[in-house]
Amino acid sequence: MDTLIFLLIVLTFVAMWRGKHRAAGVLFVLALVAMLLLFRHHATDTLPISL
Amino acid sequence: MNAFRAILAMFSILAVCGVLLGAFAAQLQGDMPCPLCILQRMAMLLCVAGPSWLLARSWRREVDANDYAQCYGASIIAALAGATMSGRQTLIHIAPGDPGYGEPMLGMHLYSWAFVVFATVILVSGLHMLVLPRRAERLPFAGASRAVVGIAVAIAALNLVAVFLEEGFHAVLPDNPTEYRLLDDLGLRSEEAPPASSETPAP
Repeated sequence: MDTLIFLLIVLTFVAMWRGKHRAAGVLFVLALVAMLLLFRHHATDTLPISL
Repeated sequence: MNAFRAILAMFSILAVCGVLLGAFAAQLQGDMPCPLCILQRMAMLLCVAGPSWLLARSWRREVDANDYAQCYGASIIAALAGATMSGRQTLIHIAPGDPGYGEPMLGMHLYSWAFVVFATVILVSGLHMLVLPRRAERLPFAGASRAVVGIAVAIAALNLVAVFLEEGFHAVLPDNPTEYRLLDDLGLRSEEAPPASSETPAP
């Protein structure tokens, strides 16, 4: 999962560099959402918290 | 003023890249990053993506206030996510007597520095939005900005390789990583892996 998110981030930069700005935006949002989902997984896995 | 905005964008990228290189240097010295540390690196790279995006747009056309708002808005969102992660990790270790995770650098642990970085990204992005251009403009220093964005891409690729080495073909990283699991997955390390140290606290 971590590797895939870094791959999304690298692809975001590549899309920006090549001028594919709409693709870069989609990849940015995908990476952000995946990162937050992974954070949720680790947050509940390492130390259960409730808000 | 457009030169000032271009320099500020490049400085923002280089500052965060410097922090990422520092974290990478700590990893090369044997301080394995935990899952939350890796998440904070991702957030830092997404913060860098904002000004990089602005510079990439300026290579092909003039940029206006809408471009600035989109790019720095993206940085602020990523920084808020990163500050949440680093803040949580700081709170885990905030109890008196807790040694924290990993070795401190310049007096603070890496996750505390990460919180400072994310707060600074939000501050600088907000300051940048105070000096938005009134009309579309072409940013100078195209060659330098290509080099700066190239550095950011190289650091992102370096982190991709490092985390693949650490994670291997597993779904997620262990809570307290002590080795590069890809080497074991590929059968490149024959001796048994050392047991996880009980003295090292979980992240």
